[in-house]
Amino acid sequence: MTEGVLVSCGWVAVGVFLQWLVGPVCWELMSWPVNAIVLAVLLLCILLIYMLRGRFRLFRWMATLQAAVPAIMACALLTILMGVTRQVPSGHIPADPFGITDMLSFWPFVLSFFWLMVLVGLVCLTRLCRPTWRSVPFLLNHLGIFLALVAGTLGHADMKQLRMIVQEGKTEFRAIDARHSMYELPIAIELHDFFIQEDPELSYMSDVTVRTRSGISVRDTIRVNKPLSVRGWKIYQYSYDEAMGGQSEYSVFELVRDPWLPFVYAGIFMMLAGAVQTLSNSPLKGKKRGN
Amino acid sequence: MINWDDLWLFALPAWICWLTAALLSLRGGWRRSVYLLTITGLLIFGAYIALMWLSLQRPPLRTMGETRLWYSFFLPLVGLITYSRWHYRWILSFSTLLSGVFICINLLKPEIHSKLMMPALQSPWFAPHVIIYMFAYALMGAAVLMAIWQLLGKQDQLPAIDNLTRVGLSFITVGMLFGALWAKEAWGTYWSWDPKETWAAATWLCYLVYLHLRRARPADVSPALLWLIFCFLCLQICWWGINYLPSAQGTSIHTYGS
Repeated sequence: MTEGVLVSCGWVAVGVFLQWLVGPVCWELMSWPVNAIVLAVLLLCILLIYMLRGRFRLFRWMATLQAAVPAIMACALLTILMGVTRQVPSGHIPADPFGITDMLSFWPFVLSFFWLMVLVGLVCLTRLCRPTWRSVPFLLNHLGIFLALVAGTLGHADMKQLRMIVQEGKTEFRAIDARHSMYELPIAIELHDFFIQEDPELSYMSDVTVRTRSGISVRDTIRVNKPLSVRGWKIYQYSYDEAMGGQSEYSVFELVRDPWLPFVYAGIFMMLAGAVQTLSNSPLKGKKRGN
Repeated sequence: MINWDDLWLFALPAWICWLTAALLSLRGGWRRSVYLLTITGLLIFGAYIALMWLSLQRPPLRTMGETRLWYSFFLPLVGLITYSRWHYRWILSFSTLLSGVFICINLLKPEIHSKLMMPALQSPWFAPHVIIYMFAYALMGAAVLMAIWQLLGKQDQLPAIDNLTRVGLSFITVGMLFGALWAKEAWGTYWSWDPKETWAAATWLCYLVYLHLRRARPADVSPALLWLIFCFLCLQICWWGINYLPSAQGTSIHTYGS
């Protein structure tokens, strides 16, 4: 256990040094294809550590609980530190000299979670290479968090959330993000009509045709809470000319694209299955089991 | 129409049922009466929650006062489940006492909230998300009390503590992930590191440390139990402490009531 504490402290120290050297982690750099390369390197490292475990005592130790406990504890304590400090909104410069007010870009925090994910990936690989039915709950829990956390973190920079304003009778393919940068999209929206329905409940909606570069065209009605999915984009009814009401000459859509989401969801559902399995298997229910 | 003024009409008979059951179980024997009385109390208290639900025309899960109702309800329920499984005579006294504390807070400090819920909370995800968390809080409460009991040198409770924590953590996991799925639907992001979410993650990680620590060092009981108390403190901050935490003021969508 002492080794584990020292290793975790080591990661924090390396993190503090990096923070001083290069400043906060720049997550924008993690967009495609950098994140895919990082993922490949991470998986390759895990594979190498697994294959070389016979040679190095360190690599064997990494798959033990003695390594796991301090690694989780470091992540827990840094998350508590995040909870007791007021965080700056994302994209802002930290409000303190150390960087803990922007914890998600604080190197010791990022490295501690990175180390934990290496360990989790390693134990998953160990179990996967000798598959038994008894490993299923373990893999659901551990592979689930690995998938959700790694895909969620690496995929964050690829998530696009854009606004598009379309005039009635016109076709639009440009959209802006929260920082007002303009994007030209591979899909175009033609707005036929915007109208407000009051019966049975108040709802505003847009009659649109969405076209893609490959020639697909979809005609549909987009309304609040009823987004339209086209080619990995989700199109939400966002706003309209409120002064004009139902006579609004334009409609505003929000377009969301999160290509890594299926992996995050796969992880989330694996963890849910793991939790349900624990519940149904726990001695809270049923009679004593003989050991 | 039922309201907070009618709480004592239901809470008092329910609590008397629970108290009688607790005293009977302390004496030993009388198991059938213990079950019958506890369930009667649960039905009476459950009826109040159901009537409040009807009268508010929404699940009573929005304010601190309303979540306390569920805590008062789930504590005796979890107590009864624990009693039926491990036959601890004292567990019902504990759950009754704690349930009584929450009833008293609601009676003496009735936060009457007739405000409508914000639109984002009017979702089918809302009730399961909060009820699952409430159940987890009750289980973890039972676990931490057993831990303190054992640290004071009383009987060995370790298998029960570990089991309650494992089951409680499963509930926390499901509650947290339901929250993520719901957030994705309502706000477009499944995790936004809102202060409540940060504390939920911290609490979840702390309990993970406990379960892994118990396996890594099965003989080191006291440090693990002390850590479990620390976990429970984190859980309290996550549940209600967040409302008083300076770092969370004005930034959390989860703060109640205001």
